[in-house]
Amino acid sequence: MTNPERLSPQGRSLLDRRGFLGTAGLSTAGIALAGMLDADGLLASESNTQFNGKTPIRPDIDPNNPYAPRGTHFDMPAKQVLVIYCPGAVSHVDTFDYKPDLYKLDGQKPPGLPEVTFEGPTGNIAKPFWNFKPRGETGKMVSDLLPHLAEQVDDFAFFHALTTDTSAHPQGENFMNTGFTMEGFPSFGAWVTYALGTENQELPSFVAINDPRGMARSGKNNFGNGFLPAAFQGTDFTARNPPNNLDRPGTLSKRDDRGTVDLLQRLNAKHLQQYPGDANLAGRIASYELAGRMQTSVPDVMDLAGETAATLEAYGVEGGSELRGHYARNCILARRLLEKGVRVVQLFNGSDPSGGNGITNWDSHSNIHKTHAMQAEIMDQPTAALIADLKQRGMLENTLVVWATEFGRMPFLQANGSGRDHNPDAFTCFMTGAGVKSGVSYGESDEFGFKATVDKTTVYDFNATLLHLMGLDHQRLTFYHNGLERRLTNVHGHVVKDVLA
Amino acid sequence: MSFMSQALNIQKGFCRHMISLRTFGNCRLMSHRLRGVMSAVAYLVLASFCSAASAVSEIDFEQDIFPILENNCTYCHGEDEQESGLRLDGRAYMLRGGDSGLAAVVPGKPGKSYMIDVINHVDEDMAMPPDDDQLPANEIELISHWIAEGAIWPGQMDAVINEEVDHWSFQDITRPEVPEVNETDSSNPIDAFLLRRLAKESLQYSAAADPRSLIRRITIVLTGLAPTASETDQFVANFAENPDRAYSILVDRLLESPHFGERWAQHWLDVIRWAETNGSESNAYRKNAWIYRDYVIRAFNQDKSYDEFLFEQLAGDTVGQGDATGYLVSGPHVPIATVGRVPSARRQARADRMDEILQTVGATTLGVTIGCARCHNHKFDPISIQDYYAMSAVFQDIEFGGRPPELDADHPRRRRGDELYEEIRELRSTLWKTGPWEENWIGYKDYLFPPVQAKAIRLSFTTGFVRIDELEAFGPENWNENFALADRGTIVTCSDELTNPATPLVKINDGGFGNDAWMARKKPDSKALPWVQFDFPQLQKLNRLRISTNREDYWETDYLEKLNKLMWGPFKLEVQGADGNWKQVFVPYQNERANKKHPERAEILQKIDSLIAQFNDEGPQSSFIGRFIDPVDTFVFGRGSPENPREEVFASALSRLDGDLGVAPDASGPDRRVAFAHWVTSPQNPLTARVAVNRLWHHLFGRGIVATTSDFGAAGAQPTHPELLDWLASEFLNPTVQLGSDDARPWSVKHMIKLIVTTDAFKQSSLPRQKAIAIDGDAALLWRFPPKRVEAEVIRDAILQASGTLSDSVGGRSYRIHNVKKRYAQWEVTDNYGADTWRRMIYQERMRRVDDQMFTAFDFPDCGQVRAKRPVSTTPLQALNLMNSDFVIDQADRIAERAQSESGDGIAAAVDRSFELILTRRPTDDERSACIELAKQSGMSSVCRALINTNEFAFLP
Repeated sequence: MTNPERLSPQGRSLLDRRGFLGTAGLSTAGIALAGMLDADGLLASESNTQFNGKTPIRPDIDPNNPYAPRGTHFDMPAKQVLVIYCPGAVSHVDTFDYKPDLYKLDGQKPPGLPEVTFEGPTGNIAKPFWNFKPRGETGKMVSDLLPHLAEQVDDFAFFHALTTDTSAHPQGENFMNTGFTMEGFPSFGAWVTYALGTENQELPSFVAINDPRGMARSGKNNFGNGFLPAAFQGTDFTARNPPNNLDRPGTLSKRDDRGTVDLLQRLNAKHLQQYPGDANLAGRIASYELAGRMQTSVPDVMDLAGETAATLEAYGVEGGSELRGHYARNCILARRLLEKGVRVVQLFNGSDPSGGNGITNWDSHSNIHKTHAMQAEIMDQPTAALIADLKQRGMLENTLVVWATEFGRMPFLQANGSGRDHNPDAFTCFMTGAGVKSGVSYGESDEFGFKATVDKTTVYDFNATLLHLMGLDHQRLTFYHNGLERRLTNVHGHVVKDVLA
Repeated sequence: MSFMSQALNIQKGFCRHMISLRTFGNCRLMSHRLRGVMSAVAYLVLASFCSAASAVSEIDFEQDIFPILENNCTYCHGEDEQESGLRLDGRAYMLRGGDSGLAAVVPGKPGKSYMIDVINHVDEDMAMPPDDDQLPANEIELISHWIAEGAIWPGQMDAVINEEVDHWSFQDITRPEVPEVNETDSSNPIDAFLLRRLAKESLQYSAAADPRSLIRRITIVLTGLAPTASETDQFVANFAENPDRAYSILVDRLLESPHFGERWAQHWLDVIRWAETNGSESNAYRKNAWIYRDYVIRAFNQDKSYDEFLFEQLAGDTVGQGDATGYLVSGPHVPIATVGRVPSARRQARADRMDEILQTVGATTLGVTIGCARCHNHKFDPISIQDYYAMSAVFQDIEFGGRPPELDADHPRRRRGDELYEEIRELRSTLWKTGPWEENWIGYKDYLFPPVQAKAIRLSFTTGFVRIDELEAFGPENWNENFALADRGTIVTCSDELTNPATPLVKINDGGFGNDAWMARKKPDSKALPWVQFDFPQLQKLNRLRISTNREDYWETDYLEKLNKLMWGPFKLEVQGADGNWKQVFVPYQNERANKKHPERAEILQKIDSLIAQFNDEGPQSSFIGRFIDPVDTFVFGRGSPENPREEVFASALSRLDGDLGVAPDASGPDRRVAFAHWVTSPQNPLTARVAVNRLWHHLFGRGIVATTSDFGAAGAQPTHPELLDWLASEFLNPTVQLGSDDARPWSVKHMIKLIVTTDAFKQSSLPRQKAIAIDGDAALLWRFPPKRVEAEVIRDAILQASGTLSDSVGGRSYRIHNVKKRYAQWEVTDNYGADTWRRMIYQERMRRVDDQMFTAFDFPDCGQVRAKRPVSTTPLQALNLMNSDFVIDQADRIAERAQSESGDGIAAAVDRSFELILTRRPTDDERSACIELAKQSGMSSVCRALINTNEFAFLP
């Protein structure tokens, strides 16, 4: 081949492929690949580099058609994924992680618990603020805080021994959603769309639906592209607010707009004649066509007018708090996006914590009995309805559903307080849907719910499992950035096989 | 590196660098590929003579120790396999340790031998042997004992490991011969290298670019701005007469343009992910951080020597260029206030901040990914974990925060500050005779009064709530000497019963600023109001008090709601003189009362107020360019954890690059940084010049000779033209080519840029050639000038330029597009298109991880991680933003208006003018008639909106 000395060794095998394409006269493919090579200097695709004895797989991305569907690393049922994210840290000991000892020790301060946690001095053990009952056929103990979700636990796979590396919200959100506590790394959704592209070319591949109250603490970092190309960032809109700049400005008529687009196409077509076969230019022309299609497809998917009264009622659009109504609409939007084949939907329940008062999200440093109740009222019914709806429509066959938060809360109260502080050493999340075993609980925390003990599961493990469920090997899905083949799971993570169906 | 330095036979100097390679055998990201890249050798040299077993030992290695190793260890840590890069089949390997960078065995010190931790299962995640029970206690004891006795291994006591680095970028730079090539009349040596390489593929350059494309290309590449239509026409005319001369004049003009620095600063700021907010919890604004951005612009405009440029960013505080050190704190950080109360989390946060500094330094100056050595030896490059922490010792005096910059007397900001202060001083001199007054300096107030002799002072407040983080008392001599400090023996007393115990009085004169403050509040059932008294150890001459509520906020942040609220009311100030009598010097509402008596005062005080406002903008104010702290001792953190400190290390640079800085262990922070800066900028450093010229090349051609511009290590890309790279680096260090009348200086960026852009390679056409595409699709070998989409900044600036609204002012406070926010809330875009934003985009406030709702879609970085190279995406969101945003709609109207008013009558003329304004050319007949048609139907604005969205506008020709 031509100039191997400029290539890092991992590119050489692709170089041979490129040579093949070139000699085979597939010039268009050749150009597309050439553009792809330009993406970060190193050649993409498979290579002979070994990572833990594994070869990285960099997806073949044509920068001018970055959303084209791409294959998985291995066959798995999940084709798309819904992540329901609850910022602020949901108390595991008040929801899904039943600890009978807390009733016995209520009001006491047993030895072995710390004097100081994130916000300061610690107080005494507090029993769960809601009663636990066995649910479903599995008899899984769930508290009365989440009665609707509790009905579906037979379908869920719980992770009870999750641990994280930080007690601070933004770093915790970053870690859960991007695999790093620091900022600037690609989000899970960005990784998945980078790997797989999307099935529906008329909607964004990755949609982030923010809470009606606003963005979570880490803001866009939770659904950003980090150092991946901007094509893979989450597009944020809600049932209420369309994406920025989607609509033609009100000052322009439809005819003006159409005329502008037509002129643009003519000018671009003429310009392209000077650069015959230039894929970058052709790709940009195509992106305008796609944008035009999005202008109708996005309002269509946001329009809930066709939803039945039964659906609206099941999701709790009416009859609850105003916030629940908005969140419920967002849940319906999530389902509609998934129905249309959007690859990743990230749905937020909670925004930025305002001084940890538990009003804007789950962060409950005081009056947890009130604030968690307020959050649960918003989250429980619509979320449960969404999962049930997906199931009823058969969509869970190929949709992975994840419910997550950044850490847990302490089994004891803060000193002289009425709330629970952050707990990075034990918390609970769950998954359900495509590829997930039903009605299992993986891992255990200690008798207080203070530290993970059995089958400790790191965030890396959790994310490795998510990628696995999407048919992606977390050790092989990489992107070269500044000296390293970066991964969602850094250099860690083990797939938790026990939850795989 | 102490033991290694002794054990390894390292030659000093840069001629031969050594590396342990086989130790990297099993790192997670590593690979057989390295073996192709580096033919490094590591071999154990057994001394030809066996040292006599002089030590009488009760432990017999062969009998007691060797079998334990043989049975439990060497299967995975021996000649065939080296799990974690560790071998335990030779004493020297043991002393070196594996990937962890920690010595497995430290003779005589079992407590410091990592092997002992591991076999004792101290850390459950690193417990050996794996999947087995622990070794029997007696075997652990034997090994421990053996180490305590000196780890005697008969026959291996003098064994050393010889290691050699032959990775290309660590070799000396020597100037290669310029190849002889026939097929060119270019005298530029760069063309010779490029053409020789192309010839190997039977390729050659494309034809020369047409002058219109050429001026558009060079103007955008050098200044980030498009040329105007008249500049273009002029150039086309000059080009027809004498192409070389016309081009040379053009290049010189652009290099002298003040906009050159703006363009090149943008590139530099990307690499160091510079932004004006912290990131993390509150993502707070970094006050006056932009003075560093202005420093960078100025440096490029002045063609500051690159070595000086680096030196000042590392240690500018020592040479009157304090604003340059904003570089060190360019990355994101988590302020201590939001880390939480757990001490280990606070230590971790400091280690993370230090890591950001090292990433910045490594990526920019050396092109190495130093951060990879934070937890273990670097997987690919000869950087040990000891190197990482020794380098962190260099920067131990840096903390993320603000300080007033140290500026030379002739620094523009200093000069301006001095001028303004002189004006304030003059105004003050007219005030003294009319009695005391107060000045509001935004974050604090100064209370000035004619000098008095004071044994004590007492402030009695007239309002019920007081919050003061610091009160300072100054005199007319030693203008900044604070007599109120507790450390000087000043005793404070106050209305105790009104003081909140959580915010005690000691905070008022402890020299600390910020959240820790004295707070007192009137009781509802009593009339008593707060007061505070300072008793000085001896009589003091005073003429000024300075009081603040949260001066840290004032120094460090901005654009927050309720910022700089001064929380104390009017007070009466009394002074106790030498005679013990109290005298009132300041009354509540002093300004208002005195102004009544002396009406001329009001105007003077108002002038002072406006001078203070100017001073805050233009003078040397506290700025987020780093804060200095006392360096603490530095230790290697085992597996990167501050909870696992290992051996102490001292400031040095990369040991394999002659990194001994020659500074004493207790050297001051500035001394350490100065020494490091000298090391980085030494012409002998093989990385600095190579990385620099490659980065210039990258920004000129769109890709570097080494494509991974901030990774020159073994995991980075190989140079496409290694000899050319070395020739350029040599030319950078020792210029030989004369381009103008003057000889070029060493390290001159402008010299290198001019040399590169005057090549035939740069001046060739960018049109595709099918045959060449098939061979080298991305034009890495430069058979054409590689076209690409321009950056976000170029698009925005060019639109503003077309409408004639772009301000050409250079530097200053960033223009705002976001709200003034609550401390813990997200920034929200409020106005990203109004008249206040009509400046070059490099002056847009750069908020980490915040979508500007316009250009983030165009790969504008989120400033979270080092961004050596921007990706180029094509997404429908870009199309939507560029079609429908307020910015584009507003600007399209303005361009249309301008085109019409500048073209006189007729739609055709307006169309022609809008083409000139946006695309710097006139339309073809076809284009004109298509545009006229739309203009008639929908107006000129629609035509301009279409032109802004064309590929021609968005691509570098």
